[in-house]
Amino acid sequence: MSKIKAENVNVYYGSKQALFDVSIDIAEKEVTALIGPSGCGKSTFLRCLNRMNDVIEICRVEGSIKMDNLELNSRKLDVVRLRESVGMVFQKPNPFPKTIYENVAYGPTIHGIAQSKEEMDQIVETSLKKAALWNEVKDRLDEIGTGLSGGQQQRLCIARAISVSPEVILMDEPCSALDPIATAQIEELIDDLKKEVTIVIVTHSMSQAARVSQKTGFFHLGKLIEFGPTDKIFKNPDNQQTQDYITGRFG
Amino acid sequence: MSEKPHIVKSYEEQLQLLKNTIVKMGTGVEKQLENTIQSLVKKDISLAEKSIKDDELTDKYEINIEEQVVNLIALRQPMAIDLRETVVALKVSSDLERIGDLSKNISKRLTKIGTDLPNDITKNFEIAGLKASKQVNAVLNSYLHRAKDTAENVWNSDEEIDQMTNSNMEAAVKHLEKNKNDIQKVTQLLFMLKNIERIGDHATNIAEQVYFLITGDYLEGDRPKG
Ligand SMILES: Nc1ncnc2c1ncn2[C@@H]1O[C@H](COP(=O)(O)OP(=O)(O)OP(=O)(O)O)[C@@H](O)[C@H]1O
Ligand SMILES: [Mg+2]
Repeated sequence: MSKIKAENVNVYYGSKQALFDVSIDIAEKEVTALIGPSGCGKSTFLRCLNRMNDVIEICRVEGSIKMDNLELNSRKLDVVRLRESVGMVFQKPNPFPKTIYENVAYGPTIHGIAQSKEEMDQIVETSLKKAALWNEVKDRLDEIGTGLSGGQQQRLCIARAISVSPEVILMDEPCSALDPIATAQIEELIDDLKKEVTIVIVTHSMSQAARVSQKTGFFHLGKLIEFGPTDKIFKNPDNQQTQDYITGRFG
Repeated sequence: MSEKPHIVKSYEEQLQLLKNTIVKMGTGVEKQLENTIQSLVKKDISLAEKSIKDDELTDKYEINIEEQVVNLIALRQPMAIDLRETVVALKVSSDLERIGDLSKNISKRLTKIGTDLPNDITKNFEIAGLKASKQVNAVLNSYLHRAKDTAENVWNSDEEIDQMTNSNMEAAVKHLEKNKNDIQKVTQLLFMLKNIERIGDHATNIAEQVYFLITGDYLEGDRPKG
């Protein structure tokens, strides 16, 4: 089933067009990977899905992006609510300079999700458990989040993202600064999360895209060149440009 | 699809080396088979002995290709066409090794029974053997030139060898009924005829691999069976 349906999305930074007529169907409770050379528009597209492009003054988004039939690109949309249901994890782990507990409790607090201290404790614990971080931090919840290792910080950011029970999580190169073990932990987490959440991940690692996703989209120069089942894309893509890119023949 | 070279030259070179090794191994196996058949045609046992000896090199090639493939998978993580290239090389090398082995086996039997053999049977063997040689040659060409049609032709022609083998074996049994004294020689010849058929089967396997390499699809339909 389709969770997000983008149709003819065009994005401009000032007069420079960054995305050209991108149409894509993102399936619910699946992992969709977006790949492509640097500057092809992956992050730009990802930001369309939670209206993060709004914060870039010169950025203009055209076209339709529907999530469960709700038009995300509408002026009337409640962007705060949207970001509650569409969470985001970035390339560089960016915990707040606050305690581990506060990092996770932040979202539920501003969205008024927890009614009591007990309920909040529960949300923090569950989120950290889902992010496979609980065992490592349960005795130091009042320590500062930025004091964790890179891989732990990234899992903290994921815990923060899932604390508000989002329907969609966007990840922009979430493992690029992590070692293979931390990467495997995040990938295991992604596998686990997709039972409940729709995930869109941008990655420069072909093997990561192949490992974690069910669908893969290849972007090039602002266009979605090919989109299909991940095994098809990596075994026998239809498009020559896709094949050149994934086999290292580009340029 | 005709491919651009890889950005990383050493990767390009490794894949090229793998292809070249398959072609070299294939050329050697073709020669082994040819020597085996010519040994009978020319009644020259030294050719059979050469075929037996050359099988050592064929085995070495197989090991070398396996090493190359494992290295490529471990160190390069090939994708798409490169992955097919790598996996297909492994499978093709093992079929080539079997063809080499079967040629050697025929040659060994020949060295045992000598070249003074019932003419009617050796004539049949020769025709089937040449047909199998042609198949091996064609399928190696299809690999070298990425020729899908040639691979399909090989796949479709295997039935002929199968049918030939059946009638050749029947003829050999008939010969035996009339010439009971030939039992030693004819028994060996029966195995030799069967080996030719199996060589044809391995050429067909390779044709399937070449087709997969080129298209990413599997050859459709029932495998022709005689
Ligand atoms: N804030 C911005 N202002 C102006 N142009 C931008 C801005 N952000 C992105 N762009 C331009 O839009 C295009 C797409 O950029 P984007 O960041 O989406 O690419 P990307 O595929 O995520 O690349 P990378 O893999 O390097 O992260 C690029 O040409 C880029 O220069
Ligand atoms: Mg980016």
